[in-house]
Amino acid sequence: MFVFTKMTQIPVKINNKNPRLASYILSQYGGPDGELGASLRYLSQRFAQTEKSGIALLTDIGTEELGHLEMIGSIVTQLTKGEGAKSFDRYGVGDYYIDHANAVYPASASGVPFSAAYMQSKADPIADIMEDMAAEQKARATYDNILRMCDDPDVTNVIRYLREREVVHFQRFGELLDILQSKIK
Amino acid sequence: MASNMNMSVQQLMRRVSEALFYVTDLNLYLDTHPDDTKALRMFAEASANAKACVEAFESRYYPLYATSADCSDSWEWLVGTWPSQKMQ
Ligand SMILES: [Fe+2]
Repeated sequence: MFVFTKMTQIPVKINNKNPRLASYILSQYGGPDGELGASLRYLSQRFAQTEKSGIALLTDIGTEELGHLEMIGSIVTQLTKGEGAKSFDRYGVGDYYIDHANAVYPASASGVPFSAAYMQSKADPIADIMEDMAAEQKARATYDNILRMCDDPDVTNVIRYLREREVVHFQRFGELLDILQSKIK
Repeated sequence: MASNMNMSVQQLMRRVSEALFYVTDLNLYLDTHPDDTKALRMFAEASANAKACVEAFESRYYPLYATSADCSDSWEWLVGTWPSQKMQ
C-alpha cells in the first residue's frame, strides 16, 4: 500500500508564468517517456518478478516515479496559475486551453493523450529490466530536451534534479540485471 | 537540532526533504546491495535523522502524514502547503 506525504521530494517554487514551457514539461506527466508511464511500468512489472531484489527495486523506483509525477504536475500548475485564455493564446498554446484550461491533463507535449501502449509488462524479468533501462535513458533524454528549451532557473533546478534521478535509476536497474543474469547461470 | 526553533517553514521543509531524499537514495542502493554493511549503517543513521526532521517539522508547522494530524478540535490534515501549491 501507499502512504501519502504532504510534500514534494524537493521543494517546487516557480515564480514566473509561462504556459508554453508548461505545455512542454507536461510531456513528462503523460507523454511517451513521462513519469506516469514510468511508475505504471515498474509498479505493474513487479507482480511477475520472483527475485526479492527485483520486487523491491521495481516497487521502490515505481513509488519514487509517482512522486516525480506529482512534481511535474506542480511545475505545470505553478507556470500557468492565474493565466487566462489570452495568455495561453499569446504563448501559442490556445489549443490546450480550449480542451483543459488551467488543468493538468496526462498528455504529451504534442497533445497526444497518455496511453498504456507506451509500456510493456512481459513476465520475463530480463526483457522487463532491459525495457526499464531504455525507459530511464529516454526519460533522461527528454529532460535534456526540456533543459534546452528552458531558461527559468526555478524550473531548471527541479528538471536537473529529476534528470539526475533517471541516471541513478538506470544504474540500479543495471545492477539488478547483473543479479538476475548471475542467477540464470 | 537545537537550531530548529529558529528555522522558517521553507528552511525546515528543505531539511526534511534532504533527509528523506538521503533515505530514498540509500533504500534503492540497498535493494541491489543488501549485504553492504557500510550502507546498512548509513541507512540506520539516515532513517533516524529523517524521523527526527519530520517530527520537528510537524510539531512546529503542520502534519506531513495524516496519522500525525491533530484531532482535538478540527481536522488539522487540511493545514499546510499541498504538493499542488506553491509554498509561501
Ligand atoms: Fe526514473
